[in-house]
Amino acid sequence: YLDSKDLEEPLWELEMGLLESDLALSVSEAIVESVKKQLTGTTKRIGGNTGEIVEEALKKAILDVVSANTFDFDEYVKDKEKPVHIVFVGINGTGKTTSIAKMTHRLLKSDYSVVLAAGDTFRAGAIDQLGIHADRLGVKMIKHQPGADPAAVIYDAVQYAKGHKIDFILSDTAGRMHTNLNLMSQMEKICRVSTPDLIIFVDEAVAGNDAVERAAQFNDAVPIDGSILTKIDADAKGGAAISIAYITGKPILFFGMGQGYEDLKKFDPEWFIGQLFNQ
Amino acid sequence: MVMEKLGDSLQGALKKLIGAGRIDERTVNEVVKDIQRALLQADVNVKLVMGMSQRIKERAMKEDPPAGMNPREHVIRIVYQELMEIIGKGAEIHLKPQTIMMVGLQGSGKTTSTAKLARYFQRKGLKAGVIAADTFRPGAYHQLKTLCEKLNVAFYGEENNPDAVEITRNGLKALEKYDIKIVDTAGRHALEADLIEEMERINAVAKPNHKFMVLDAGIGQQASQQAHAFNDSVGITGVIITKLDGTAKGGGALSAVSETKAPIAFIGVGETPEDFEKFEADRFISRLLGM
Ligand SMILES: Nc1nc2c(ncn2[C@@H]2O[C@H](COP(=O)(O)OP(=O)(O)OP(=O)(O)O)[C@@H](O)[C@H]2O)c(=O)[nH]1
Ligand SMILES: Nc1nc2c(ncn2[C@@H]2O[C@H](COP(=O)(O)OP(=O)(O)OP(=O)(O)O)[C@@H](O)[C@H]2O)c(=O)[nH]1
Ligand SMILES: [K+]
Ligand SMILES: [Mg+2]
Ligand SMILES: [Mg+2]
Repeated sequence: YLDSKDLEEPLWELEMGLLESDLALSVSEAIVESVKKQLTGTTKRIGGNTGEIVEEALKKAILDVVSANTFDFDEYVKDKEKPVHIVFVGINGTGKTTSIAKMTHRLLKSDYSVVLAAGDTFRAGAIDQLGIHADRLGVKMIKHQPGADPAAVIYDAVQYAKGHKIDFILSDTAGRMHTNLNLMSQMEKICRVSTPDLIIFVDEAVAGNDAVERAAQFNDAVPIDGSILTKIDADAKGGAAISIAYITGKPILFFGMGQGYEDLKKFDPEWFIGQLFNQ
Repeated sequence: MVMEKLGDSLQGALKKLIGAGRIDERTVNEVVKDIQRALLQADVNVKLVMGMSQRIKERAMKEDPPAGMNPREHVIRIVYQELMEIIGKGAEIHLKPQTIMMVGLQGSGKTTSTAKLARYFQRKGLKAGVIAADTFRPGAYHQLKTLCEKLNVAFYGEENNPDAVEITRNGLKALEKYDIKIVDTAGRHALEADLIEEMERINAVAKPNHKFMVLDAGIGQQASQQAHAFNDSVGITGVIITKLDGTAKGGGALSAVSETKAPIAFIGVGETPEDFEKFEADRFISRLLGM
């Protein structure tokens, strides 16, 4: 029999590994605790290695977290009535605008048409940034002046898509701190009046424990339909993906793997677990 | 605000010592475990936390409390000293002519902090100009130009020149008469060899007095590794922690400081040019421990 004492040492080792992979402490403790409960009192095969049994159980537990409620983005957009409207939200600098450019590229490759909405009217240079991407990708961007009402810009983009039989509207929004009540309620309003089909939360794989807090707050405010984790190419193990999936119960949709348009990888739970544990 | 949650949890941990007449091993272990959790939750590097908590444990058991100091005060003092050991003193910012290069990961807040820093020096009566040497991120030029126009800070950039090194060279010449020259660079990480090499070339041309690494308060365990690589490559002289207006506790930045021995210079606490503060180590740690 495995008693909780046998489990302690290997679980501790694995937990340290998870923390070093940027899984938030609170989430890591919850997952480790569930594995401990599950294994305590189970019989061990003769010659079985406790360390391996524990690692397998933990992998399985994490796989369950990250593959809960998954949905296939491609299937979803294929079947969905057009135009499909997707809004991108998140805290400052995580990669919302770049992810929009990457997703545009991906949709264009599947022969869909796309219009962009320059809904970040706040940050200096934000409209220029999205505009350069739009030019490079050869798609139309709907914009107003800096400082304009983002909801109005997005509304115009949706009308444009309907009028021109465009398949997708991808709406950029300004980065905002989840602690900023005004900006959070502005986002809530944008998402309410523009009735998007999907709200995607963008965070970065290099984030640590705070990923839990902000994902929870954004999910409370709108709520979100799924997440994109960027910058995993920075040698990040991406434990934040587990934290976010755990706290929101929503699927991880894509990983950002670099700054090029091709660098958007559809989330694959098995691949993710593999790279998390092969360090 | 800054790391106040970490402060709270540390204080929670230390409360357990109130009333403890003398320090026994069980109490110390318990407290150290709580301190460990607090630091891990604040994104302090895992190995750093383990090393530090081991030292706290040993010292709490071995060292005799100074006369008149109760066990609780004794352990607080040790934790304080150990944190001070990591954080060090804040960077000294001299109000004299200098060149500063901003570096860091993508989206950490370099461009915003460039404008804030220029504003900081301008307020102190120095003439500040900035150079837009990020030729990589779309819109980087417009972003910095717009920020500078609002602040009346001199701006040098070449919108269609893809050569950041050349722009830096030209910019330094154009801004010759300015006291403070701040070079904004593209975001990059340790594995982007071309970009790391570009940063080294900008560094060679700018010969900056200061090389500030800008770190998002929310960065996790990558902080040490990235700071190590940036330091190896150009030598970091200071750290700016941004986005401390959120709930992130900044332990990643602390780990970067531990890794590079570069002191923290400034903190960013919002998106506007005013949301920028000089870092004060003493006040910071005192607040951290509630002393
Ligand atoms: N290495 C890497 N960099 C990325 C990735 N995704 C985005 N970036 C970079 O991160 C920086 C910030 O990206 P943006 O797309 O501007 O982020 P944002 O969330 O729109 O930022 P705000 O609008 O200011 O809140 C840019 O330099 C991007 O090139 C990624 O997957 N890997
Ligand atoms: N809330 C908050 N946002 C900040 C702070 N500092 C910067 N930002 C925001 O973070 C985002 C990224 O800032 P930038 O200055 O563009 O970051 P960067 O490091 O220059 O980005 P790249 O050039 O793409 O690498 C923007 O939305 C900024 O407004 C801060 O202290 N608090
Ligand atoms: K960031
Ligand atoms: Mg953006
Ligand atoms: Mg920048």
